[in-house]
Amino acid sequence: MNVLAILMIGGVLAVPGVALVALRWASHRGELNLPERAALLPFDEEEPVGRATDQILNRQSAES
Amino acid sequence: MSASSQTFSALLPGDVSDDSSKRALLAEIDASCRVPVLFFVISGLLWLLAGTALALVASIKLHSPGFLASWEFLTFGRVRPAHLNTVIYGFASQTGIGVTLWLMCRLCRVPFVAPGLATVAAIFWNIGLTVGVVGILIGDSTSIEWLELPRYSTPILFFSYVLVAVWAIITFRLRREQHLYVSQWYLLAAILWFPWLYATAQIMLLIEPVRGVVQAAVNWWFAHNVLGLWFTPIGLASIYYFIPKVIGRPIHSYYLSVLGFWSLALFYNWNGLHHLIGGPMPAWMITVSIVASVMMLIPVTTVAINHHMTMWGHFGKLKHSPTLRFVVVGALCYTATSLQGIANSLRSYSEVVHFTHHTIAHAHLGLYGFFAMVMFGSLYYIIPRITQREWPSLGLISLHFWACFLGLALYVVPLSLGGILQGLAMNDASVPFLKVVEGTLPWLKLRTFAGLLLGLGHVAFVGNLVWLLARVFGPYRKPVVAILMGAETAAVVGK
Amino acid sequence: MKYGPLLFLGILFTLASSWVGLVLAPKQQLGGLVPNVSTNALGAVVLYPQARKGEAQQGEEHYRSLGCVYCHSQQVRPEGFGSDITRGWGKRRTVSRDYLYDKPVMLGTSRTGPDLTNIGERQSDSGWHFAHLYNPQITSKGSVMPPYPFLFQLRKIGPGGASTNALKLSGEFAVAEGWEVVPKDSARQLVEYLRSLKTSVDLPEAPLPKVQEGAAK
Ligand code: HEC
Repeated sequence: MNVLAILMIGGVLAVPGVALVALRWASHRGELNLPERAALLPFDEEEPVGRATDQILNRQSAES
Repeated sequence: MSASSQTFSALLPGDVSDDSSKRALLAEIDASCRVPVLFFVISGLLWLLAGTALALVASIKLHSPGFLASWEFLTFGRVRPAHLNTVIYGFASQTGIGVTLWLMCRLCRVPFVAPGLATVAAIFWNIGLTVGVVGILIGDSTSIEWLELPRYSTPILFFSYVLVAVWAIITFRLRREQHLYVSQWYLLAAILWFPWLYATAQIMLLIEPVRGVVQAAVNWWFAHNVLGLWFTPIGLASIYYFIPKVIGRPIHSYYLSVLGFWSLALFYNWNGLHHLIGGPMPAWMITVSIVASVMMLIPVTTVAINHHMTMWGHFGKLKHSPTLRFVVVGALCYTATSLQGIANSLRSYSEVVHFTHHTIAHAHLGLYGFFAMVMFGSLYYIIPRITQREWPSLGLISLHFWACFLGLALYVVPLSLGGILQGLAMNDASVPFLKVVEGTLPWLKLRTFAGLLLGLGHVAFVGNLVWLLARVFGPYRKPVVAILMGAETAAVVGK
Repeated sequence: MKYGPLLFLGILFTLASSWVGLVLAPKQQLGGLVPNVSTNALGAVVLYPQARKGEAQQGEEHYRSLGCVYCHSQQVRPEGFGSDITRGWGKRRTVSRDYLYDKPVMLGTSRTGPDLTNIGERQSDSGWHFAHLYNPQITSKGSVMPPYPFLFQLRKIGPGGASTNALKLSGEFAVAEGWEVVPKDSARQLVEYLRSLKTSVDLPEAPLPKVQEGAAK
């Protein structure tokens, strides 16, 4: 039971502590500067934004 | 490589083929995925068929207990876990891994590294699972839900999993695109979370079992997290990739997706013990899980808003893209099942529905409505690209979609209601138990019918796939329309 | 490397939190539970719960192997939460200590059939259990519980006459003249296990309700 208490209190202190340190470190390295560019990652010059893909169910019309 | 790129450029109509260097990277990546991804996917789908058959047997037994009753290995208490484990570890996990491999390659912009490693992993996975499922049927089930596979089979699965994780980390390290798309976060998280969950559960429940109800805590920490930290991230990663990709528009808000990811990571893994509401556990454990379950409102609404806003104004594209249809239905089911799950975790609601078929309906809304549907959608996109063959039959695609959609609706909605009625009757001590049982029969019969529809959908899908594969091995035929191009180009060709 | 390390840390850190909270902490809190010691009316020391032995223990294996847990729970929720106690599934709620020696702990999540935590008290007649397992329709018409004919042996009645443990089957369940149905070892063990399921023991954390005749309000 004592071990548990120590674990809990230690955890309650350590968890936000570690999180803070990690966040500071990360923001220093510029890891948090989210470029909106990241949203464009599924696209490239082959399949740019604005081009729909997989529109295959209207193939009948194409076939005829 | 050269052979495949030749085949590939043969697929392109004249007006773009001089542009082949541009298409080269995607094509090269897709082609490099062919063997390992197909291996995982095809084994996954075969397990899906097996799992569907087992499900039907189990479902029929639940309203007609005399059905196939004289065979011990087909008794309900074995068929049911055999069903669960085939669809979870056979179908969902393997298909999920297949889709993960492809997404990782595409988003890291590297051709498949070490395909041999991944293929060996797939082989071991199937061996381990076959041994395990046969083990369940012959009576070695552990009767620990979601972990029924006997102890002698799981190390094989774990080994195979380690190979997959090693592969993923190598690919991640070799990536040519330094920035990480939100799908990659989810995938990386799933890949790191799963072995931790699985190892903990295996060690604490099967290898060196802990005593007493600590087992139940570990059991539900694991079982709930398999959904939340293994299937959900893979499913969401696919949604985050395919919706933008199909409609050709980036995700509505990248910031929302960051919030969604981290709130999921923070809260979901604390949810598990709400499965033990009313059970013989210290109250704090259950309360913590209920609180965390309610916090799930944050990631769920964030993701729902984000997906919906991305789709906004593009719903017309649902008509033409099988991928989008399945994925969007999956995304809607994710929202629905999450909200239902939050309700289920509240004490007053759980008092009624816990222990009823409502839970079964909920599980299927999540695993089938969300995960399986998203996987089907992803496969409609991936398979033509890695095999460089079109889907031979559009009719079968429609059949697959409508059978699954209807089957799902007929499964989930009535059984959820039936479960509530069952729970209310059970909580009224003046209703004799056999009357409660009788009251569930219509819902259970309807469920068998819904299961048949789902099975029909699966057969249509696998049939179409077999047909497509026959064309891969058969003589090369010039496709009518190259679906590998965007809609615009397809329209041009159509004229 | 964009976000790589941060992502990696975050992923491990989040799961670690619940691993500590929902796996390690329960193990810490409950791992040290010991049986309750009390003295009975004769002054003898009684331990509860006790590890199952012999046939009951083998029966637990059959219960596990046949997957009874998919239809039967083994947990009694507290008074006022559901109707577990009013339905007579237990005199008191079950608590962690009740499960110390269950291998594995089969709390169950479904009540397609009734809770079995106290089936040993509710139904101690082996004959009833044999008939029920052989075919639930015999005792409970309309049940959806599967029949378990493979736990029984159909055999010719020997020269010494019908066995004492043969099932008494009549009507639609009767077998051909000169034949009898007897429980196999597995059925006997399973029933011993069922008969061992009882939790009506006073525990400090879960006292039995006091029977106070006449004192009822
Ligand atoms: C498909 C679900 C199902 C499975 C599997 C199942 N049962 Fe049942 N069981 C029921 C139902 C429904 C009832 C209530 C009607 C009855 O008495 O048969 C019941 C009743 C019982 C009862 C009587 C309970 C009482 O309160 O009278 C016992 C004992 C029992 N089952 C034992 C078992 C055992 C042992 C197994 C595994 C070998 C098992 N059951 C498997 C559904 C199931």
